Amino acid sequence: MSNVVALDKEAELMESFIQRIEQGKKIEADDWMPEEYRTVLIKLISMHGISEIMGALPEKEWVPKAPSLYRKLGIMAKVQDEMGHGQLLLRVAEDLLKPYEKDRGDLMNDLFKGDLKFHNVFHMATETWGDAGLIGWLVDGAAIITQTDMLGASYGPYARALQRICAEEVFHAQHGEAIIMALAEGTEEQKEMVQDALNRWWPALLMFFGPASKDTTGASKQDATIKYQIRTKTNEQLRQSFFTKYIPRILSLGLTIPDSTIHFDEEQQTWIYQQPDWNEFKKIIKNQGPRSQARLNLRRTSYENNAWVREALSARIN
Amino acid sequence: MVNGNSTFYQEFEVFSKRTPSSAFQHQFSLLAPNAEMALVMAQENFMRREPVEDIWVVNRVNIRGLDQEEKQILNRIDNKDYRNTKGYGYLKKKWRHYEQKMFDEQEILSWGKEQGK
Repeated sequence: MSNVVALDKEAELMESFIQRIEQGKKIEADDWMPEEYRTVLIKLISMHGISEIMGALPEKEWVPKAPSLYRKLGIMAKVQDEMGHGQLLLRVAEDLLKPYEKDRGDLMNDLFKGDLKFHNVFHMATETWGDAGLIGWLVDGAAIITQTDMLGASYGPYARALQRICAEEVFHAQHGEAIIMALAEGTEEQKEMVQDALNRWWPALLMFFGPASKDTTGASKQDATIKYQIRTKTNEQLRQSFFTKYIPRILSLGLTIPDSTIHFDEEQQTWIYQQPDWNEFKKIIKNQGPRSQARLNLRRTSYENNAWVREALSARIN
Repeated sequence: MVNGNSTFYQEFEVFSKRTPSSAFQHQFSLLAPNAEMALVMAQENFMRREPVEDIWVVNRVNIRGLDQEEKQILNRIDNKDYRNTKGYGYLKKKWRHYEQKMFDEQEILSWGKEQGK
């Protein structure tokens, strides 16, 4: 009897949950939510949060090598922002993790064990100052495309975190543009530096949005996240939107896209392009990319080296 | 949290005001061992660019909010026109008859910007 009552209650909660999402209302941390919704959010947001922190690593490599004090201060501010975004998102993830009695310490350990992935784009090497500029311009550009697509997410805390994050991304994009613009308007050597960075980063920029369907890797978050109105566009729609917004700008600077086949098909209203090597992508998401292990090691070492800070913090509680 | 310190962090909600005359606004939450650290973290986490006039940090244990069921009491029936300017909208037409402008909310609040001589 009590089981029947519980099931009825559950069905009622589910119905009102779906209704609220459909009416565009927000789900909050303490609200009832189906287990699948919670799991999808935890996966998405913990990966997003950890990726902000891991994403700061390739950029921080360029702090000591920035070409002027002004550029150094600019890139330091950006690195600090990325860590701040990590903080925000890990907070959102932690509130969702409460029923499982897990927190950011567990997420960090999941990262070290390889159970929690960080974004595929942050497994790549940065070789020149041109790469530092290109990351700010196009990698952050790609991130802006995916993140603004979720500004209306049904989960309130995530939507609010993204609002803050996207506002700061505007600075990141302009910071990247400023570096690229200086190089693109500079000497022949500087121009070549940008073109070389674009050549090396192009496949990574395509992979950024993930494969078009789950057939490539066997799993994809996109269906569940669209179903629950966390995002609106598919991976391919996001990639197409990136092309539409950025290709004209790339070309306007006199750069060449390293794909001679790429063009906009008017009839299909679609960009036709050469697929990146998705086998490479599969290796990256198994932490076997060019810099996967080096960056994980760096994170591990700094987590251990900074353990004393966390211990010192615990000295006075309230 | 780590190394067995599973509980020393506490959750704080952060509020701040932008200008001396603006109201406090909720920013976000953060983890800190005490209120003093929470203030430092709040500034570091949320106030790196925008002007800020004052900051509050509030431990979550001291916040009494509404749960999902309690929020039902916030639903209103749309029958309280007499509490809103909406219920008095017909005055606009009346005043026009007397060749006077309606003193609506926008008009009345704008008087605060009038300067005494």
